[in-house]
Amino acid sequence: MQQTGENPTIESAVSQATPESGTSLWQDAWLRLASNKLAMTGLCILVIIGLIAVLTPWIAPYSYSDQNLELGAIPPSTSHWLGTDTFGRDLLTRIMYGSRISLMVGLLATAVALTIGVFWGTVSGYLGGRADAVMMRSVDILYALPFTIFIILLMVVFGRNLFLLFLAIGAIEWLTMARIVRGEVLSIRQQEYIEAAIAMGLSKPRIIFRHVLPNILGVVIVYTTLTIPNVILLESFLSFLGLGVQPPQSSWGLLISSGVETMEEYPWLLFFPAAILSATLFALNFLGDGLRDALDPRAYRD
Amino acid sequence: MSLLTVTDLRVYFHTRNGIIKAVDGVDFELQRSTTLGIVGESGSGKSVTCQSLLGLLPIPPARIESGRAMFAGTDLLQAGEQVLRKIRGHRIAMIFQDPMTSLNPYLTIGTQLLEPLHIHLHFSRKAAMTRVLQVMDEVGIADPARRINCYPHEFSGGMRQRVMIAMALLTNPEILIADEPTTALDVTIQAQILELIKNLQARHNLAVIFITHDLGVIAGLADHILVMHRGKVVEQGSAETIFYRPQADYTKNLLNSVLITANPRKFVAQASGNAGHLLSVENLKTYYRLPTGFFNRAGGQIIKAVDDVTLELQQGEILGLVGESGSGKSTTGRSIMRLTQVTSGVIRLQGVDLLTLERRKLRTIRPEIQMIFQNPYASLNPRLTIQDTLAEAILIKGKLTTADLQNQILQLLQDVGLDASHLRKYPHEFSGGQRQRIAIARAIALRPKLLIADEPVSSLDVTIRAQILRLLRELNDKYALSMLFISHDLSVIRYITDRTAVMYRGKIVELADTETLFQSPQHPYTQALLSAIPVPDPVKERQRRFMPYSPKS
Repeated sequence: MQQTGENPTIESAVSQATPESGTSLWQDAWLRLASNKLAMTGLCILVIIGLIAVLTPWIAPYSYSDQNLELGAIPPSTSHWLGTDTFGRDLLTRIMYGSRISLMVGLLATAVALTIGVFWGTVSGYLGGRADAVMMRSVDILYALPFTIFIILLMVVFGRNLFLLFLAIGAIEWLTMARIVRGEVLSIRQQEYIEAAIAMGLSKPRIIFRHVLPNILGVVIVYTTLTIPNVILLESFLSFLGLGVQPPQSSWGLLISSGVETMEEYPWLLFFPAAILSATLFALNFLGDGLRDALDPRAYRD
Repeated sequence: MSLLTVTDLRVYFHTRNGIIKAVDGVDFELQRSTTLGIVGESGSGKSVTCQSLLGLLPIPPARIESGRAMFAGTDLLQAGEQVLRKIRGHRIAMIFQDPMTSLNPYLTIGTQLLEPLHIHLHFSRKAAMTRVLQVMDEVGIADPARRINCYPHEFSGGMRQRVMIAMALLTNPEILIADEPTTALDVTIQAQILELIKNLQARHNLAVIFITHDLGVIAGLADHILVMHRGKVVEQGSAETIFYRPQADYTKNLLNSVLITANPRKFVAQASGNAGHLLSVENLKTYYRLPTGFFNRAGGQIIKAVDDVTLELQQGEILGLVGESGSGKSTTGRSIMRLTQVTSGVIRLQGVDLLTLERRKLRTIRPEIQMIFQNPYASLNPRLTIQDTLAEAILIKGKLTTADLQNQILQLLQDVGLDASHLRKYPHEFSGGQRQRIAIARAIALRPKLLIADEPVSSLDVTIRAQILRLLRELNDKYALSMLFISHDLSVIRYITDRTAVMYRGKIVELADTETLFQSPQHPYTQALLSAIPVPDPVKERQRRFMPYSPKS
């Protein structure tokens, strides 16, 4: 190695920077995210809601299933902060239990959709040609299936099971993700830095993970934050059809749809579950926007 | 009395990152039937100046801070939208750089040409039609009655620019503003368009404002020249004054950057004793079949992008590959890189046939040939710091200790003239020239034997261009690095290469030592190409005659 003759302060400053591959993007991204107040507020709200959901069995004020018809539906008071429903069950408790199901659906089903969709879309878009044609036609075919029938079939064959529900919803949502990712990969593929990577003799997996995936993150994150609320609402629809969660268990979607029925007499039964769902979605969107900007070095310039 | 008088024009862009003084105190006068050339590099404010005259500025962020632009008793800067609309496209017309995007792809040429006549002059349908056909004929569009029903995509780039010029001329304007009208065109087409503009100006007594970055283009056209740099006019005067007696340092620098490319390179590449060539390409053919489709009539047609190309390259030699767009020069480069499917032929790198190599072997040999691309904005991964980009390239050759890796990275940066403070930055924080340096550093990180440079300086300003070319030549000397240098720009080719191959429609029509080729071109196409190069010298440029080439087929 030739002596560079650089002055020692620069050299030592440089060697402090980790040469390890891939770290800098995430470190930089975290620093940028931390300086985004709106995104951090979103993150805090999500963490709080998540913590409450996890700790519910220990901190819930009442039982979620015990009925007390004499209590009837009472408006918010000091003993029942958010009031009770028509069966006299504490609404706060039911929202807390409901958040467990809703968040779990939101996370797991989205995780399933994300994993399959990104994998399928990336491979299809990057390989191109015949592989692409086959993979995308299979997505088209799945799109054409009416999904309620698909889920009913799954439930009939495998029996009703909460985890199966998550998988089934995820198995539907990944289709759109795959298409979006593929389109994005196709345009990234044309970039000269991908050709440069091929010319350097990098392997396909390395090119995909290091040069393609980081550059589609923005789209993936935005679409993910749109998918989570979608999935939460889908669950309530399926529960409404009797395919999802059954009473006395609850989820946000179920609480909202039963709240709608008694909206005029007992408005708090609709208002509080809807408010908590909205708050979650807002927080998700702020966090999503923040993440997208944080992961794009071009978005920040000081 | 002058036709247009601009005094103290200032246009600032108010952005989040502060105020950018795009135009900062510009004065000029435009006389009837003369051509004013505005020369400057990107960001000099030459386009913004003209946009502000026609009310085309994006406001906000732009804001006209001060100035007057008097045209026929009206201040264009103060005029309301109603007044401007009567002037714009009627008394002052404009043509743009990119003829591909300045026409609406969904409307026929005829519809687009008739529109201004209806709007500004309230022509009857018949009168408008007659006028359109007349102007189309005048700008050299053959068979206008039939062509008028064609869509923009059915025209070539040069023809589209003719359509744009026709559109500008329809209303008999007094001023024609041409914003880099030939930059996106091939050099032979450029020569034709320049001649057309010159003829039309003389015939119609037009006043032309011609914006360009290319001193050669302006030399033969302009009577008066304005040199702009960072929003200010650094110098203005007659063409002769600017070219023969420049006063400002910036003008001198600009002229030197162009002229340096005319200095012949000393032939240094000698066969270094070892027998055989570094690279030999024999009968290379790369054909594309247009995709077949149910509704696609052109489907299945075969395009012969590279058609029987044979060339050889020695250690330390720089071979130029010159041609116009579509000549197959880039495809030749990409075929040698095996970035595209080759139809037939033999490509040997030090005796190893690249085309028959299996995939794994190919990957191990790839580092031997590296590539530099045209667009430095697309050739670096925007999510990786410079440090990561270079480290990735270096580590392909094998694992290294952290200290060794750092040393190599620093050495690379030094080789390409960057310093260590840049390491933690991302590509978007660099200028185009700096990015091209990084791309070069990445390419030489693998210690390749052959570097394929595909139009590496085409998107750079002239002063930066000269620096990058000098850098490539230094690296060639220092590491005996062989290069295949692909370019459409003959002056660049002349400056950097030892031998030059001229490509035309997929074939090499002439291959010779660069100086021999420029002194006594043999093939008529080469002669046409050479006669089309604009010379940055007003007297010579005004006398230059372009000899078009039409193949006998």
